[in-house]
Amino acid sequence: MSTIIASHGFTNASLEWEAWLDVIDLEQASADQITVLEESNPKAKTSDYYLFLAHQPAILRQRSAAFNAIMYAPGGMSRAERELGSLVVSRINGCVYCASVHAQRFEQLAKRNDVVRQVFEDPYSAGTNAREQAIAQFSIALTKAPNDISAASIVALKEVGLNELEILDLMHSVAIFAWANRLMLNLGEPVLPLTD
Amino acid sequence: MTHDLIDVLTGLSAGSRLHNLRHQREKVALATQGSYDSLFDPALEGMTLQERLLVALYACRLAGSADVAAHYLQRLQDIGVDAAQCAAADSGNPEQLPVGRVRAMLTFARALTERPVAGDKAALHALPAAGISTPAVVALSQLIAFISYQLRVVAGLRAMQLAGHHEESQA
Repeated sequence: MSTIIASHGFTNASLEWEAWLDVIDLEQASADQITVLEESNPKAKTSDYYLFLAHQPAILRQRSAAFNAIMYAPGGMSRAERELGSLVVSRINGCVYCASVHAQRFEQLAKRNDVVRQVFEDPYSAGTNAREQAIAQFSIALTKAPNDISAASIVALKEVGLNELEILDLMHSVAIFAWANRLMLNLGEPVLPLTD
Repeated sequence: MTHDLIDVLTGLSAGSRLHNLRHQREKVALATQGSYDSLFDPALEGMTLQERLLVALYACRLAGSADVAAHYLQRLQDIGVDAAQCAAADSGNPEQLPVGRVRAMLTFARALTERPVAGDKAALHALPAAGISTPAVVALSQLIAFISYQLRVVAGLRAMQLAGHHEESQA
């Protein structure tokens, strides 16, 4: 990470996360639980988040399949723009942990963090160009008032150049963070790594 | 063709333009349906199917997604739901139920759906205090969070459908 940004309680610094209830014990885990952890994320076996969700391996398997397909599938909307949508949702929902992770992913993919700074500062005006602004606006709208999303919301995305597959990808990226943020915010809490 | 609830709820028929587009992301569609199937698996450990459907109904209602709520209400009626519990989820509030599991689950559903940022350790620990096991807490949390995802996918696809019709009528 090139520059640490800290603003309005949000940061792009790396955070840890601790569960508020008992996580599974890897020594006692079933073969299926181990397999699901390996499918979910490269760091799942050392992550409280995944070790907690692994209490229900069949549900976690499907959640991870959805998450990974939405965020990493080739084609359609660029991965950086999907991360931008997820970052805006996490900022709106107040998920400091998710915002940190996806701010870092955005910067890794886009090689810049100007819009990260803007999203932390004020997501409602964020975006370094009309396309990013429209992505941020749609992400906020689908997060805050999903039933008010209309044809006009879609037209606004098309007007800045998004095609239909990109719109579908953005919609999925926003929706999956309605899911992820709720778990991260309510099952445990971010912990700052030890600093001086 | 396998059953796909999102297609049903959004009225996407096979061969339509938006159906084709959505199923370009087939892994997402399959895992979305797979999540629904695993969350409502009758054999799931820790929560009865009725409890899960009550939570889903209440979460949809709080989010204002009447048509997705109608799906869960129908499923509850199909399995024969407790009238007082159904009334609390469909039109009332958790406090009208006696202290116990369903009241605790609906209270947690309200917190996650309406103000996820306000969640704290005490709110989570209220669940084991109501006799809900850790695997059931995981199922409950995944279920409420999934509903927040599901109703946004439905809302987004509906808007895309309307935008598509609008374009066709302009063409």
